Amino acid sequence: MGGLSVKHIRAWCLTLALIALLFLIVMPLLQIFIQSVYVDEEFQWDAPFRTLAASPFAGVLFSSIWLGICVIAGTTVLALPLAWIMSNTRLAHWRWLDVVLLIPFMTPPYIGSMGWILFMQKNGYLEQLFPDLYFLTPSFFSLGGMVMIMSLHLFPFLYLLLRGALVRIGGSLEEAGAVMGGGFLYRFRRIILPLLLSAYGMGALLIFVKTIAEFGTPATFGRRIGYEVMTSEIHKYISSWPIDFSKATSMASVLLTACLLMWYAQSVINRKFTYRLVGGKGSRPSRLRISGWTTGLSVAFILLLLIASIGIPYFSILSASTMKLRGMGLAWDNLTLDSYKELLSWGSESMEALLNSVFLSLGASTLAVVLGTWFALVIGGSRTRIQRTVDAFSLLPNTVPGIVMVVGLILWWNSPWMPIPLYNTYGMVILTYVILFVPYTVQYVKSVFTQVDAGLFQAGQVFGGRLSYIFRRIVLPLIVPGMLAGWMMTFTIASRELVGSLLILPPSVQTSATYIFAQFEQGQVSLGMAMAVISVGMTTLLLILMESLNSRRKWK
Amino acid sequence: MMNRHVFRTGWKKGTMLALTLTFGLAVAGCGTATPTKDGAPANGSAGQAEAASTDQKLVVYSAGPDGLAKKLIAGYEAQSGVKVELFQGTTGKILARMEAEKTNPVADVVVLASLPSVQGLKKEGLTLPYPDAKNADKLNPDWSDKEGNYFSTSASALGIAYNTKLVKTPPTSWADLAKPEYKDQVNIPDPSLSGSALDFMTGYLSAKGDGGWTLFEQYKANGVAMAGANQEALDPVITGAKGIVVAAVDYMTYKAKAKGEPIDIVYPTEGTVISPRPAAILKSTQHEQNAKAFIDYLLSDDAQKLVADASLLPGRTDIKADKRANLDEIPLLKTNWEWMGEHGSDVTEKFTQMFK
Repeated sequence: MGGLSVKHIRAWCLTLALIALLFLIVMPLLQIFIQSVYVDEEFQWDAPFRTLAASPFAGVLFSSIWLGICVIAGTTVLALPLAWIMSNTRLAHWRWLDVVLLIPFMTPPYIGSMGWILFMQKNGYLEQLFPDLYFLTPSFFSLGGMVMIMSLHLFPFLYLLLRGALVRIGGSLEEAGAVMGGGFLYRFRRIILPLLLSAYGMGALLIFVKTIAEFGTPATFGRRIGYEVMTSEIHKYISSWPIDFSKATSMASVLLTACLLMWYAQSVINRKFTYRLVGGKGSRPSRLRISGWTTGLSVAFILLLLIASIGIPYFSILSASTMKLRGMGLAWDNLTLDSYKELLSWGSESMEALLNSVFLSLGASTLAVVLGTWFALVIGGSRTRIQRTVDAFSLLPNTVPGIVMVVGLILWWNSPWMPIPLYNTYGMVILTYVILFVPYTVQYVKSVFTQVDAGLFQAGQVFGGRLSYIFRRIVLPLIVPGMLAGWMMTFTIASRELVGSLLILPPSVQTSATYIFAQFEQGQVSLGMAMAVISVGMTTLLLILMESLNSRRKWK
Repeated sequence: MMNRHVFRTGWKKGTMLALTLTFGLAVAGCGTATPTKDGAPANGSAGQAEAASTDQKLVVYSAGPDGLAKKLIAGYEAQSGVKVELFQGTTGKILARMEAEKTNPVADVVVLASLPSVQGLKKEGLTLPYPDAKNADKLNPDWSDKEGNYFSTSASALGIAYNTKLVKTPPTSWADLAKPEYKDQVNIPDPSLSGSALDFMTGYLSAKGDGGWTLFEQYKANGVAMAGANQEALDPVITGAKGIVVAAVDYMTYKAKAKGEPIDIVYPTEGTVISPRPAAILKSTQHEQNAKAFIDYLLSDDAQKLVADASLLPGRTDIKADKRANLDEIPLLKTNWEWMGEHGSDVTEKFTQMFK
């Protein structure tokens, strides 16, 4: 062993993590709370409460929570069967599906909703293709439609977590159950379900938080059906005259509290139901869960899912991007590739925006993975209070609406006394992305790491491994899949991040997302849609490239 | 896994050193993030180094339309040699950014799409008066500040935009849209998101008095739907999901029509409201001379010609637009900007409640 003991290093890492989080995340958010009690530059401690009492607040809060619950249900229905299929049937060899299934998540939510709206609205693409189906329109423009759109957008996220957990459960436990005479349902209920619960809890919580903090779909689809949620209300106070930060921040504080309560409930479940699954012995998929007819059913399920989550929205997006005149609808003589030509000409504004997006998200995702892994390792099993604090702090950005976090960051980094001149630089954008998306890596690495048995590290020590050696040869290989998932997620979302970019980009700088948004604002829908196709296409290509490199290395 | 006692003492011992280290790390961490700025694609961004000697910089926050703002900036840059950093967004986005930057303002000049907001900025003492602006005397006096706090260098008029494939006989008055033939066909922009829609509502009410609300009640009864900001309200009409936008911004309609979309606009006979687009210098400006020169440029013949070409109404009365209806061809309501500025938020609230 070196000069420092393992315990010392741990304590050090923990302290450092806590301070970094305080500086990067907690302080900016505190600025928000401070804002919420200052009305007209006067301290009024009860201002948040008065705001809440005066606004139609309870109704909006309830709408948000109800939407969150419905979307959890929706994503579960989509992700659970899929995770099961992709970990237990022959289709698990279709690695390309993993990348394809990320496409819905890579599609900016407001673009996806636009796609659905264009398809389903009166005189929309559905009606132009199948005039007899016009009767579907009214039932689609309802809360049910909104839940469907949001579930189709978010399910890949839950799927990745669940599949990871199912793969780790492996076959032996279930086979033991079968040997003892347990039927399929019994085995599912008594073996798989409890083992899955901690990953599911984590996933469901994040889905809930993502849903109630989501702005794109409520702003496009929700507004259309008159379904108001917290984010749209907050956005109203923050972006229309007269700007009222204190009202917005009061509401954000409540949203934050609601999310922290959820987080607490989840962490209780997590502590109760976490089991050490990855021991020294290797694991393999269960043979019990594979049979002939399930394959057919699985293929059908995946096919339907792909049509709903990618086929329909992308049909609309592609159609809209290649239309000469939007008022003419679907017709061969209305087809043009001009938007793409305009976008892809070298040195154009759009090309610049595209390159900006790529470089910014590459930087952000790499930095986020490093930071996130550090936090996740420090958190470990959330045993001590400090570990739980680090856990809570690192999750904070995911529990506040992006726009609130970003305002906090601006207040913090642009204060007159801030000595680091980061505001209005590319560095600030990267930092914002890192802070917004670091919870993903934390979650992914944590969910892998908490299931690794401590016996493995002890074994390493017994055999005289130094700390760095244990980390390199035992910890790292085990958490790499989590890190990779975190990297992919961060890159994907950072490259389409809108709300933060709108506020934080230095003047004269655009990313693909703000470019798209600007085109919609300017009425250039085809240009915006074409940019969506190109940027999602590029991200997909990059992921395919990574996936193929990854499978060549083949760790198991 | 961890012995609590040992952990605690270890923690205490290390705390001081850790604190010192972390701040070092935080600074260093940001130090490593900053070079990315220079490493990022070379688009001639923020060259602070070369701008150090003389004042060659100006930061402008401007509300759309996108193409026009860029042309104006390019024109000014060519004329003055000053490098302009442009932030583009809706009026709301710009105001939000200014609010977040309050303690350390960045912008020198703002161009907004709403008169009441800039009146608000003036009231809060955030604007820098520039009474000697060249050509300011040729501006429409109703839209600009006498003391030179803001200058409306362009404007749009509000009308009724309709899909020519779906609506064969276009309405001629605001009241027509309450008729059964237009039931469930009409969109109206959300006044909390569209400054110009709010201008229409407050303008109409200031001209008609409280009785003006009857029109909106009839709209609600006839299934008029509140639909996002201007372009969001217009898009469904272009694609044919809806037939009509009431209180539509005219230049957006002209632009779509010029492209060949099946859309057109009428100005109702009883008169409509103009929505001026003011530019103002902020008191906090670090580049006062450049900001003033920029205002002069916006009022110049060249810039006003660019405005007219973008299908907007020029701010100067002596410049005519040939791609659209000019001011003298648009019937106007007798509006009261004072009243409109004061009652904006009440009207927004009442209206959005009514149409929810």
